[in-house]
Amino acid sequence: MLALILKRLLTAVPVLLVVATLTFFLMRMVPGGPFDADKNLPPAIVANLNAKYQLDKPVAEQYVIYLTRLAKGDLGISYKYVNRTVLDILSEAMPVSLQLGSAALLLAVIIGVPLGTLAAVKRGTWLDVAAMFLSTAGISVPGFVTGAFLIFIFGIWLKILPVALWESPAHMILPALTLAFSPAAYLARLTRASVLEILEKDWVRTARSKGLSHWSTVMKHTLRNALVPVVTVLGPLTAILITGSFVVEYLYAIPGMGRFFVTAVTNRDYDLIMGTTLIFAALLIVTNAIVDVAYQILDPRMKVEG
Amino acid sequence: MSQSRFLKAAATVVFTAATLISTTGCSSTVDGYEPDTFRINLQAEPPSLDWQTSTDSTSFDVVSNLMTGLTQYNNDMKCEPGCAEKWEVLDGGKHFVFHLRKNARWTDGKPVTAHDFEYAWKRLLNPATAASYAFFLYDIENAYEYNSGKIKDAELVGVKALDDWTFSVKLKRPAAYFLYLTAFCSTCPLRKDIIDKYGDRWTEPQNIVTNGPFKITLWKHEYKIELSANPHFFEGPPRLKKIKMFMIPEQATAFGLFENNQLDYIDNRSFPTADVERFRSSPLYRSLPLLRCSYIGFNVKKKPFDDKRVRQAFSMAIDRTLFPKILRRGERPAYTWIPPALDGYSEESKSEFDPQAARKLLAEAGYPEGKGFPLTKVLYPQREDAKLVVESVQEQIKKNLNVKLQLEVNEWKVYLDILHRDPPQMFRQTWGADYPDPETFMNVFTTRNGNNYTRWSNSEFDDLVDKASAEQNQKKRAAMYAKGDKLLCQDEVPIIPIYWATQNTMVKPWVKEIGFNAMDLQFFRKVYIEKPN
Repeated sequence: MLALILKRLLTAVPVLLVVATLTFFLMRMVPGGPFDADKNLPPAIVANLNAKYQLDKPVAEQYVIYLTRLAKGDLGISYKYVNRTVLDILSEAMPVSLQLGSAALLLAVIIGVPLGTLAAVKRGTWLDVAAMFLSTAGISVPGFVTGAFLIFIFGIWLKILPVALWESPAHMILPALTLAFSPAAYLARLTRASVLEILEKDWVRTARSKGLSHWSTVMKHTLRNALVPVVTVLGPLTAILITGSFVVEYLYAIPGMGRFFVTAVTNRDYDLIMGTTLIFAALLIVTNAIVDVAYQILDPRMKVEG
Repeated sequence: MSQSRFLKAAATVVFTAATLISTTGCSSTVDGYEPDTFRINLQAEPPSLDWQTSTDSTSFDVVSNLMTGLTQYNNDMKCEPGCAEKWEVLDGGKHFVFHLRKNARWTDGKPVTAHDFEYAWKRLLNPATAASYAFFLYDIENAYEYNSGKIKDAELVGVKALDDWTFSVKLKRPAAYFLYLTAFCSTCPLRKDIIDKYGDRWTEPQNIVTNGPFKITLWKHEYKIELSANPHFFEGPPRLKKIKMFMIPEQATAFGLFENNQLDYIDNRSFPTADVERFRSSPLYRSLPLLRCSYIGFNVKKKPFDDKRVRQAFSMAIDRTLFPKILRRGERPAYTWIPPALDGYSEESKSEFDPQAARKLLAEAGYPEGKGFPLTKVLYPQREDAKLVVESVQEQIKKNLNVKLQLEVNEWKVYLDILHRDPPQMFRQTWGADYPDPETFMNVFTTRNGNNYTRWSNSEFDDLVDKASAEQNQKKRAAMYAKGDKLLCQDEVPIIPIYWATQNTMVKPWVKEIGFNAMDLQFFRKVYIEKPN
């Protein structure tokens, strides 16, 4: 298992290099630069700005400078937020997104997996229909709508939860629910399909014929095997949730990292674009490695080849 | 336990937990005001609190309450004494001598001296600072030369501390608007020892020193800034003990917080259009026209807009009274480039709606009934208000001139890139005043100005603007600007002014002495909170 983890981490280096290179050159190809503003600046001032941020050098040289800095662990500086490094920005924003994303992930699993299991076990009943209706709604209704709805009901109408901001644990409830709604729905559908497939297996029938109770069969023999595809999606899902959501952070005024995936691009904040992309890619690699390890725990027959 | 019972129980637990947490976690201010505290929404993170590298209104909203320059604005946009208690204008307007008050103090108790201004202004011009607003000082002797690297010696720049309390500024030529620049955030003083000590981190709350009515006590990036009263402020500490500036990006969320009494004041940044209409008659609502104009520009180097009759025809074919009805935020129709609030505004410069005369002019230009008119593109940025404006222009031009316009939308930076490199035949753009003087508007369309995307070059206009900016007699100066405005809006028409933006605000009844100004600068030094009855 240790070898597997090491192998995954070693392959991460070239993957991250490819991601960095593609992102670097793609963003330079997009029209517009970090200092293009509503009010056009005199050429002397644009020259000063370009010199300060080394944007007056050829793109290839800028690329080499960036990689050299990156190798030393320096993610660069923000062109938008003067005097702040990318590391400053992300290290302040990431813990917030991590907190909110973890809560949302937990909620998604707690709601999605039991709901999917229940729908599969009670296939064709009103419970199944209701669970699948909810999960279809969860997948199709955008987070913005869900969030606005929750704010209106609990924040403005009932006044039992804060409308927005990030001041106390109570402020986490509505954003976490909003963020969890769609993945919970997805997990529910996935679990239902997987449980239904396992329930048809011969060994499940054998377990039942040996006199095991219905719920015991489900909990002990079906669910563990049905969780393999669920665990597969948990890898990327974790990376997505803990790096924040633009919509949820925007709606609830949460100082997380999700907004930077969008604003860094619209501001042409080159180093920040690189920073967010690389962190997301690295997290994706790590969470996928964890998923591979989890496979082996759930089903020791699965020997993962690196 | 049956499943339904289990679900009910789980829901009850979650709901009860949520209610309990919310009861303990919510601020006690949910149902009312917070004593001596003023809560507002900045909407976004200020990109910089270094007042020399800030260029945006969000940063200036914070800095305006932290810093005071040589002069300071009142809400009528007049310059009042700031750190300078008086000044002399010598040599026909080319030499300013500022006499500083001796009781102006930094937040660490040290006096604000002329040396702090000399250091600040030279730093603003230093190419290494790469300050976007360095051009504000280009009227000063050798300022442009130093900023553009043509000379290396900062001592040659025409600013000097004659002693601790006297600051001398020598200009290349008289600039009638110069005093306004001394109230602008970018020209506020700086402490060399603080910048030397903390380097790039000098703006963090634990390091920064300021000289205005408030000092910064907390900066939680992307979330909140807190200011507290500065006991050393030369006018005496303000009555407000604290200002909380949140960064809530979504208008509807901020409006919800205002409704829940968690914000005391909202402006356009927090005021959805539907709510502006709903609350227009509320006693809490106030609105004020701003010195910000939206206009349609023509690239006069591209056909068919190289013919001024076509440009005039388009201007006469657009009914400006329609835009406030479409945009619904209290906008004022604009018929001139100089706003009514400034010197130089004249009814005689107005461009009136006259579709019949427009059709006649278009026919004279060779396009009777719009026949044979070439394909015309209108560029606009991806914004809802810009879209509504250009769609209305498209419809009106079709209806009144039988000319079809093709709309082209682009993401903001792509739009700017096109505008900077190769402006299309028509585009929608805005301009906001940097200072309350007609020069800030008129200079835009001079030949040398980089913001003149129309490529229009008129020596008579350039000459008028140059002379007016140096003229010390205000009456003569206003007449020159009025003549220039007529050239711009009636005779040559490189642009069609469309509407003046309006600031829409709502203020809680316990907030007193809050002022508004046409520059949209937020000064809270006189604001206080009175306990509601």
